[in-house]
Amino acid sequence: MALLEYENQIFLDAFHEDGLLITARGLCVDRVFINFLKLYCDPANLVLVLQTSLSDEEYFLEELSALDVQNLPKQITNEYSANDRTSVYLEGGVLFVTSRILVMDLLTDKLPTHLVTGILVYKAHRIIESCQEAFILRLYRQKNKTGFIKAFSDQPQCFASGFCKLERVMKNLFVRKLYLWPRFHVDVKACMDKHKPEVIELGIPMTGSMKSIQSSILDIMNAVVKEIKQCNPSMDIDDLTVENSLAKQSLEQIIRLQLDPVWYQLGSKTKQLVSDLKLLRALLFYLTQYDCVTFYKFLQTLRSSETRLIHNSGWLFLESADSMFSHAKDRVYGSSKKTKNKKNDASTEVQDVSLEESPKWKTLSEILEEIETENKEDSAGLGIGRVMIVAHDDRTCCQLRDYLKDGAKPVLMDLCQRALHSEEHMAQKEPKRWEKGAMSRRKRKIEETEKDDHDVITLTQIVKRYESHDKSFEDENKKFDPQPSLSSESCFTVVSSSVTVIHPLQGHKDPFSFRKTLKELQPRYVILYDADIQLVRQLEVYKACRPGEPLRVYFLVYSGSTEEQQYLTSLRKESNAFEHLIKEKATLVIPEDINDMADIRSEVSSTSGVSSRKAGGQDKEPSKQKILVDLREFRSELPSLIHKRGIEIEPITLEVGDYILTPDMCVERKSLSDLIGSLNSGRLYNQCTSMSRYYAKPILLIEFDPNKSFALQPKTALGSEISIQNVSSKLTLLTLHFPKLRIFWCPSPHATAELFEEIKIGKEQPDSAVAMTITGDESEISDKYNYSTYDFVIKLPGINSKNYWMILNKVKNLTELIGLSQEELCKLLDNSNNGKALWEFLHHKHGVESKEGAAGVSKDTRYNKGKQKMKK
Amino acid sequence: MTFSEAFADLKETKHFKGQSESSTTTTVKSSSSNSIIVNTKQKGNPILKHIRNVSWEYGDIVADYVMGKTTCALYLSIRYHNLKPDYIHDRLKQLGHSYELRILLVQVDVKDPHHAVKDLTKIAIRSDCTLILAWTPEEVGRYLETYKSYENKPADILKEKVQSDFMSRATDCLTTVKKVNKTDVVTLLSSFQSIEGIIKASKEELSLCPGFGPQKAYRLQSLFDESFIRSKHSKKNEPQPSTSKQ
Repeated sequence: MALLEYENQIFLDAFHEDGLLITARGLCVDRVFINFLKLYCDPANLVLVLQTSLSDEEYFLEELSALDVQNLPKQITNEYSANDRTSVYLEGGVLFVTSRILVMDLLTDKLPTHLVTGILVYKAHRIIESCQEAFILRLYRQKNKTGFIKAFSDQPQCFASGFCKLERVMKNLFVRKLYLWPRFHVDVKACMDKHKPEVIELGIPMTGSMKSIQSSILDIMNAVVKEIKQCNPSMDIDDLTVENSLAKQSLEQIIRLQLDPVWYQLGSKTKQLVSDLKLLRALLFYLTQYDCVTFYKFLQTLRSSETRLIHNSGWLFLESADSMFSHAKDRVYGSSKKTKNKKNDASTEVQDVSLEESPKWKTLSEILEEIETENKEDSAGLGIGRVMIVAHDDRTCCQLRDYLKDGAKPVLMDLCQRALHSEEHMAQKEPKRWEKGAMSRRKRKIEETEKDDHDVITLTQIVKRYESHDKSFEDENKKFDPQPSLSSESCFTVVSSSVTVIHPLQGHKDPFSFRKTLKELQPRYVILYDADIQLVRQLEVYKACRPGEPLRVYFLVYSGSTEEQQYLTSLRKESNAFEHLIKEKATLVIPEDINDMADIRSEVSSTSGVSSRKAGGQDKEPSKQKILVDLREFRSELPSLIHKRGIEIEPITLEVGDYILTPDMCVERKSLSDLIGSLNSGRLYNQCTSMSRYYAKPILLIEFDPNKSFALQPKTALGSEISIQNVSSKLTLLTLHFPKLRIFWCPSPHATAELFEEIKIGKEQPDSAVAMTITGDESEISDKYNYSTYDFVIKLPGINSKNYWMILNKVKNLTELIGLSQEELCKLLDNSNNGKALWEFLHHKHGVESKEGAAGVSKDTRYNKGKQKMKK
Repeated sequence: MTFSEAFADLKETKHFKGQSESSTTTTVKSSSSNSIIVNTKQKGNPILKHIRNVSWEYGDIVADYVMGKTTCALYLSIRYHNLKPDYIHDRLKQLGHSYELRILLVQVDVKDPHHAVKDLTKIAIRSDCTLILAWTPEEVGRYLETYKSYENKPADILKEKVQSDFMSRATDCLTTVKKVNKTDVVTLLSSFQSIEGIIKASKEELSLCPGFGPQKAYRLQSLFDESFIRSKHSKKNEPQPSTSKQ
């Protein structure tokens, strides 16, 4: 794989000196990364790769084997036994290692740390949240000063927010150099300008009703934001604007960021408002993304469910909401006055439905036509150019395909019919009035569909196509054949002379699939049905890699829509982030001897630890101080801080507690929000029960966020009366029921580590063998069962930790469970109450009053394609 | 609250020493009464003003407050502790192990309490006390009230709640599937009516629900078809030995 000029520069820079490399999104940091992997794929090296996901690894492996690399990297997961791992480490080469395993191996010296050539950190921005990787790097630096550490990231905006984040990340990474490669970097720009693809931007106007819906949604959002502000006067509200809300997730993020520390103390109203906001943003997205029928249907489910829910923040009753509903309805049924009299006249009903086509569809057809004529003329003598359409998700892709194949009307009609099935259920409440009309209509419709069978896609056809579509999606990329006749199902021919592939942007299992498809298809025309920066950049790189080959990009966007706004905002945010980083880089203070930072402190603290032990006049322990730490705890900062104090950490899987300090002291660590959450959920009660059962001194550690005030609850939380809703009340009740429970109040993880050290002075060391034998009463599930189904089954009514195995052992899967009768369930569970509860839950008809009647009808009609019934 | 008020109770502790010998011998006053028993030494402590929801009376006790047959509390202000670090040791020694639940109720009234809190944590664990921190006299009072009024309260509210209504149970179940959220559950139930309907629905029907795509539909569907018992042959075992041999 030949690197572009600037990529080469990136590679050389990073190769020369350890550092953190941040590129713009979509600028293909992985291409550089692969080159590093290729470089180190040699048994003489031992290079560890952190933070790669399974699909990343597979992609890298594929690319590397395409490059004929010997000694491909190995993936170290929990499938290797501990002993196998040591030998694999000694074999050398590049290893992708799961962080959790690496922590264990570093702590237990299974990994010959001094032999490691270096560590490559992928997705370096993650290290901000995950302390595990930071701990790994520190352990590595302690024992190995010469090995390299190179970190890669393509998410500049992650580093820009927050105070001194960049500096902290770099210190955690033990690197001194920062390499920034924004899109506006001179070299990148020069390279890209040389190979500019032909870009045609098409601003498509939205339809009138779409515009009104959009403005209604924005109005509602405004109202909701206002209400949130009202409920939480303490919030910093400058950032709370609707403009902000258009950028992906940012408004919620801002709100969550501000409310998170107090999240559990918020009233249900605020929580509801925040989730409403999320929903509204989804609506905005669906407005441009979905066809009119699906959008309307979604609104309807909202309305019907929302009225039933007690928690309702009331936006549904706003005037704007009404206008949104009516406009959405108009998009399906035409303007509202026509729809009134259809009950009497069954024959007009088809005309009643005046489905609004998505404006982008039409433009898409036009573009394709244009391409076709161009292909026919073939003025440049290039042969037939292939077309690639990129849309947001699989769903949109399927719909586009259907549209291009069958035209707009049949697709919408079909959707409409499906949507009306569910309306049918709602209509059940007044069955008598409808029955006759429905019957006749159904008959008519059946005839109709039979007539234009070739026109309207039948359900089975769709099913078939979906199935093959899903299957073929995976291999489509690999097996794609340039011959149109052989193209797989999802790459279908629109015009006989050219190949068109529709590719989803998101929701794909393989994040590299777009790149792979690009590479194999080599399209001359790319139509961006939905915009995304990353994609545009990838196209630029793709173009730059194939100099001379023409590439035309069509850019479809609704002008004046939130979609457009979103794209622009994300562009702006990224360049702002880079500007911020460039400024920060100028003032960055990283000590020269960063590599020594790892151990010096630990030496200092361990000597001070020794002296304090002496000063305490305690018996000198010949054995080193040791704490047993649950593996799951390595995500937090605490184990790393304990280790810094010179206390040995033994990572094991603990079923009771998080830390074992001494043979009789067991600590359950809770951050403030965890504490409140687990007090509410009942989890803490269970944990305390099992801790007090097995340990003489069960300890609840409440760890406060050092950045927040050191207090359990705000002063205003205390009402004039005792309320069980207060954290303090619940804590009181907990201590009343667990008089043996001790509470540690720690203002920061640092304080906790210090406290642990001092508590342990003069005490016996815990024994991991003993701790391992202790199992909680929440019987942990054995490896025998599948976790995902277990999680589902254990939540079912009538099932508990004592009897879940009866179901799991004797029934094959959920589909089979559904088929069992109440008697069979009672027999299986050996308890008639549980069996009854389970059966009733599984077969309960939601929201339907007359259970029997609805059950019969709904089942019969769901698959009845020909039925069409207009409720409104 | 003035400084002198805050220390009013503490000044009297010197007297307390004299009295303590006699009080350790007296049996703990049976607390069948419905009020908090307050040590006379606490007279003038501003937190008494904040015990409003429960009645209280003076009594002859070792602890500062007795909130039930098995529960007592010692009150300590960190400011005082910083001045007289030995005081609390003496009190704890007198108290011994005479109540099942001994609360060390500490009022955080200094700016930088961390060192003192760490100290008190260690003291509490050594003397088998439960450390409770409060930040205002109101909060201290509230803790005392709460201990008294919850004396016989069962722990039900702390236990896992079994929500009875169908909707929340269904939400509980279905949201165990990755990416499925509350709105999706509503959508699913309104499209398929019941859990049975959802499980029986085809992937295509699932993927047509608003908010769903083939991915989410696939996740749901595969959950329903996945066998409960894990199959022995894991797919990943295959390629790995071959790569490790290279």
